Amino acid sequence: MSLVSGPGKAAGCPSNQELCTQKHVEYIKNLDSRRDELEYWLTEHLRLNGVYWGLTALHLLGYPDALPRQETIDFVLSCQRDNGGFGAAPGHDAHMLYTVSAVQLLVTLDAVDELDKRGLGGREKIGSFIAGLQDKESGAFQGDEWGEKDTRFLYGAFNALSLLGLLDMVDVSKAVEYIKACENLDGGYGIRPGTETHAGQVFTCVGALAIAGRLDLVNKDRLGGWLSERQVENGGLNGRPEKLPDACYSWWVGASLAMIDRLHWIDSRKLTAFILQCQDSDAGGIGDRPGSMVDVFHTCFGVAGLSLLKFDGLQEVDPVYCMPKNITMRCLAP
Amino acid sequence: MAEHGIPRYARKGARTEEARQQELRKIEIYRELEQSVRERIALHQYTPETLQKISELLSSNPEYYTIWNYRRQVLRSEFARAESNGSNEAAAEQVAALIKSDLLFLIPLLKSFPKCYWIWNYRVWLLDEAKRLLPASIASRFWQEELGLVSTMLNLDSRNFHGWGYRRFVIETLREFKSAEQTDEDMTKAEFDYAKKMIGANLSNFSAWHYRTKLIQRLLNERSASDEERRKMLDDELELIHRALCDPFDQSLWFYHQNLMCVFDPTVAAHTMAPNLSDSDRLEYLRQEIEEIEDMLDGAEDCKYLYQALIDCTLLAWKVEGITPGDAQKRAVLSWLAELKKLDPLRQRRWLDFEQSLAC
Repeated sequence: MSLVSGPGKAAGCPSNQELCTQKHVEYIKNLDSRRDELEYWLTEHLRLNGVYWGLTALHLLGYPDALPRQETIDFVLSCQRDNGGFGAAPGHDAHMLYTVSAVQLLVTLDAVDELDKRGLGGREKIGSFIAGLQDKESGAFQGDEWGEKDTRFLYGAFNALSLLGLLDMVDVSKAVEYIKACENLDGGYGIRPGTETHAGQVFTCVGALAIAGRLDLVNKDRLGGWLSERQVENGGLNGRPEKLPDACYSWWVGASLAMIDRLHWIDSRKLTAFILQCQDSDAGGIGDRPGSMVDVFHTCFGVAGLSLLKFDGLQEVDPVYCMPKNITMRCLAP
Repeated sequence: MAEHGIPRYARKGARTEEARQQELRKIEIYRELEQSVRERIALHQYTPETLQKISELLSSNPEYYTIWNYRRQVLRSEFARAESNGSNEAAAEQVAALIKSDLLFLIPLLKSFPKCYWIWNYRVWLLDEAKRLLPASIASRFWQEELGLVSTMLNLDSRNFHGWGYRRFVIETLREFKSAEQTDEDMTKAEFDYAKKMIGANLSNFSAWHYRTKLIQRLLNERSASDEERRKMLDDELELIHRALCDPFDQSLWFYHQNLMCVFDPTVAAHTMAPNLSDSDRLEYLRQEIEEIEDMLDGAEDCKYLYQALIDCTLLAWKVEGITPGDAQKRAVLSWLAELKKLDPLRQRRWLDFEQSLAC
C-alpha cells in the first residue's frame, strides 16, 4: 500500500453530488502498484497506517474483500518488533501510532488469533508494549521509548487495548484524570494540559472517554457549540477557529459530535456536498479541499465522514474507533 | 501527516518515458542512501560519516521517524565517547559542540517542514540531553536561545500549534534554570507581554488569546493576588475585549469573551481569574455585559455572535440567581434566538434544540 498522493488531475471537481465509489476502490487497490514513483518510497514511514486507512475506506464503501486478505495479514505481522509493538513497515521502529493500526487491521480482518499462532508472544505482548508506555504518575502515554507525550497516544492505547480486551492492563482512571487536565474553558481539549483546543485532540480525548465509559465528564453543550462552529460557509469543517476547512475534519469534528449526540448541530447536507467536491472524480481518491491532491488519509476520513452522515450506500462507521460498526460490535460484544 | 493544500497537477501517468527514468534514478539514489544508513546502524558504526549520511537522508525525508531514532543512537554514542576522553570541562565542551551543531542542522528543516512532529520531538530530545549532560550554566543558554527560534517560527505562522506548545515547554524548562534574581512572576510577565504583542499583531490569533487566559491565572497565583487585584485584572480584560470587539464578526474574540464569562459561572468560577466574586457582583457584571453587547448591536444587527452572547449572559444570570424564568423573562431570549435562527442556518438544529429546552 502506498501513500502516494495523486495521480490527481487538474480537471475540476464533480458538479454532481455522487460518490465515485468505483473510482475510489480502484484508486485504493492500485496504491501498491506505484513503486516507480519516488513518493511511494518517501511515504514508507506511514505504510501500516496507509493500509488501515485504505482497508477501512474499502469496508465502508462496501468492498471489504478488495485487498488480498492473507497478504495483508502477512504484511501486518511483518511489521511487529521484538518488543511487541509495530513499526510502519518491516524494519521500522515500533511506535504507538502503528501498533494501533496493526490491531485495528487484525480486528477488521478477523485475524487477531493469528497473533497467537504466528505473532511474537500473542496479544498480551502487544498489551505489555502499550502498557509500558504509560507514565504511572500522570496517566499520560508516550508514543515510543523516546518520550513524546500527546493525547493522541492515550487514545491510541485505549483503542487498541479495548479491541484486544486488555484495557485492564493500564491505569484507566489515572489516564481519565489526565484528559480532564487537558480540558479548556471552551469545553475542548488540547494536546497536553494547558494547550489550546484542537479538533483532532478533541476527537482523541472524547474517544478515550467514550472507551472508558466516562462521557459524563464532557460538557456536551459547551463542546458541541465549539465543534459546530467549525463548520464554515462552504460546508466544510476546520480544526480551530479562523482556519481553513479540510475534508479530514469531517471525521475529527463529526465523530466527536456523534459521540456526544450533537452531530445534528451542523448542516449535514452542506458538509456532504463539501466532501464530495474534494473527490477526484476521474482518478479516484479524496483530497483536503476541492482541487487538492488526493491521498489515502483524506480518502479514508472523507468516506468515514460521509458514513457518519448516513450517506446512501455506505456501511455504518463506529465514531469511537473509525472502523466498520458491525466489526467493532462483533469484537466488543460481551 | 498527509498532503494538505497541494493543488492537483497533470496526471502522473502522462509523464514521459524520460521523466519516468529520471524518477527511477532518484528512487535508486534514495534507496541506496537508506540502505547504507541501515547497514551502518546494524553494524553499530556510530561515526561522523554515519551521521552525515543520516543528515542527508533526513533532509530528503524528515518524516522518516526511525532514522531520527538512529540519529539519537549515534549522538548518544558520540556523547559517551566525548565523556570518556579528557577532563570534565573538555568533555562538556565537546558535548556542547555536538549539540550546537545538531541544533543548527534542524533549523532549515523546521523552516521547510514546520508541521512535522518528528523534527520538533527530536529537538526537544536534544535539548533534554543538554540538560542531562551539561552544567546548568551551559545548558540553560541552549534553552534560552530557543525562545528566538520559537519567535521566528511563530512569526512565520502565528497559529502553528507545534510552535505554541514548544514555547510553553521551553518556558517550563527555563523556569527550572532561572537565576536567583529572577522570579517566576518575572518570567510569566514576560510571556504575558509576548502574548499581548502577538494579539496586537493580529486580533484573530486565538492561540495567543488562549495563552493569555492561561498566563493571567498563573500571574495572579504567583503574585498571591488579593480578590481586589483579581477584580482589577478582570475589569481590565473586559475593557480590552470590549474595545477589540469593535469588529464583532471575529470568532476568536468571542471565544475569549466566552472564557471571560466563565468568571461569572458559579460552577466553573474556581478555574478562572476571579473565583471569589459574590453572586450579586456576578449579576451586576452580567447586567453591564448585556447592556454593552446590546449597544454593539447598533449597526451590526446581522452579527450572530452578539445574539449568542446576549443569550449566554442571560442564561448565566438565571443560573446565578437560581431562578426558573417565567414567560416574560424568556421573551427577550426568544427574540434573540429568532435572529440567530435566521442568521445561522448552518447550525439551525442546534438552535432548535435550545428552543425546545427553553420550552421545558
